[in-house]
Amino acid sequence: MTASALSPSQLRLRAIRWRTPLDRVLVLTLIVALWQAGSMWFGAYWLSSPWATTTRFVEQILNGELLRHAGYTLAEAGAGTLIGGLPAVLLPFWLRRHPIVVAILDPFMIGGYGAPKLAFAPLFLLWFGIGMESKIALTASVVFFIAYFATLAGVRALDPRLVQMAQIAGASERQIARHIVMPAAVPNIFAGFRIAVPYAIGSAVIAELISSNRGLGYLVQTGAMNFDTTSVFAAIVAATLLVHAANALMNMLEALLMRWRPPLQSMMET
Amino acid sequence: MATATRLDTTLLDAKLLEVRQLGKRFAQRQGRDQGREPSPWVIQDLSFSVRAGEFLTIVGPSGAGKSTLLNIIAQTDTASAGEIVFDGTTISSRDPRALKPGIDRRIGYVTQDDNLLPWRSTLDNVLFALEVQGRLNDETRARAEMLIRAVGLAGFEHYYPHELSGGMRKRTSLIRTLVYDPPMILMDEPFAAVDAQTRTQLQADLLTLWELGRKTIIFVTHDITEAIALGDRALVLSKQPTRIAAEHAIPIPRPRNVKDIFALEGFAAVYEKIRADVQ
Repeated sequence: MTASALSPSQLRLRAIRWRTPLDRVLVLTLIVALWQAGSMWFGAYWLSSPWATTTRFVEQILNGELLRHAGYTLAEAGAGTLIGGLPAVLLPFWLRRHPIVVAILDPFMIGGYGAPKLAFAPLFLLWFGIGMESKIALTASVVFFIAYFATLAGVRALDPRLVQMAQIAGASERQIARHIVMPAAVPNIFAGFRIAVPYAIGSAVIAELISSNRGLGYLVQTGAMNFDTTSVFAAIVAATLLVHAANALMNMLEALLMRWRPPLQSMMET
Repeated sequence: MATATRLDTTLLDAKLLEVRQLGKRFAQRQGRDQGREPSPWVIQDLSFSVRAGEFLTIVGPSGAGKSTLLNIIAQTDTASAGEIVFDGTTISSRDPRALKPGIDRRIGYVTQDDNLLPWRSTLDNVLFALEVQGRLNDETRARAEMLIRAVGLAGFEHYYPHELSGGMRKRTSLIRTLVYDPPMILMDEPFAAVDAQTRTQLQADLLTLWELGRKTIIFVTHDITEAIALGDRALVLSKQPTRIAAEHAIPIPRPRNVKDIFALEGFAAVYEKIRADVQ
């Protein structure tokens, strides 16, 4: 296992590890170059330049404004993810022994999953006001359905032989849920949140955009109203970085919780 | 040692398990099969018994319903006819909801696939049964560690199953059942998927462990040599429907050296007899 001679696949892995960051820098340079070209072509009034965006971004970080608004967005997305995600993860476990209930709920869940949640934003604003509550409600409704279906898939993909093994060893239903079903579903739950979390941040921003007095979406909205594309871009960059930060957090959690997976398998999925 | 063995077979001659006229046919599927003639018997009129402390091997060609038989004994599947009496009480059932897999931890089952929990290390897989049974203490922990050492897994306690070789996984799945000491253990071709050399080593390990506790074992295999090397007695199954085709005592004294089993006196004769009976 700790052999000094590395197999070809391990060497390839190592090469990928070095190569990826380098190539990423190249791609980033290309995007910035295209952006710069676009900005020069259309004029900085319509499409702010990368440099102006960067300076505005740094400026707003330093005066604390960007962090304050990003904090609001993050809090909304975080609360929404918890409020929507927790029942979505627990529900399939409760329903595991009641496939009929799952079948009855199925069309409604699909409907909820497919319904354009952003179209509900005005309703949520009406019901919960223009404060954080309406954004949390929207985010929760987005996260809930994604997390529900991901967890359900994990619970369904469970290997029945493992359950049988546990039964023979004398495990109770509760112990089976905790020691077999739950850990087996963790990879699926993670896959669900990997999709859901960026959606959560995006939904919070868009809900803010519609009506709010704070958050990154609010910055985008005021920037656009003042024909200040630089501020719009700075806010979008901030939202993107937020998604990256959330993703990095997920990676750390995943590495911690899924050490038991063969490394190659988990690497291909990320 | 020799006297103890004789005591076992004379005083404890009690039948631990009795299979009486067992029959099994799989349920028809709704709709598609309706109106057709009933599904055929997979197992029919099958009877045998196992003494406490006996190592019984069952040989049969593939498709002979060996796994189905063990599933019914382990209570993970229903019987369609006949009954199974374990330790004086009837355990078989026609109703899938009345099944009690493992009969309150009294029957252990080492399946063909190792079925290790991929998120648990070797040690935690071995401790799983003790953990869910609420029997985790210093004594049982020590027993788990002893078994891990006995099968040569020392140093691999904290490895995950995907980091282990096929033979190591088999050993883990074997001692995972031995560790909680069920009076009877069923084994369904546990060594079928490993290479010949590893298999011989695993057989030797199993016999060493069995000598320690003399549990009652029913070991199913399609390998005649394996059946002779391990068992006190071998049953030969016929195919479709599964019945007992023959029964052979294996008069090779213990402890046996599995690696030289071919050279031991009596091996060739039993081998020829069993081979003639296996279809």
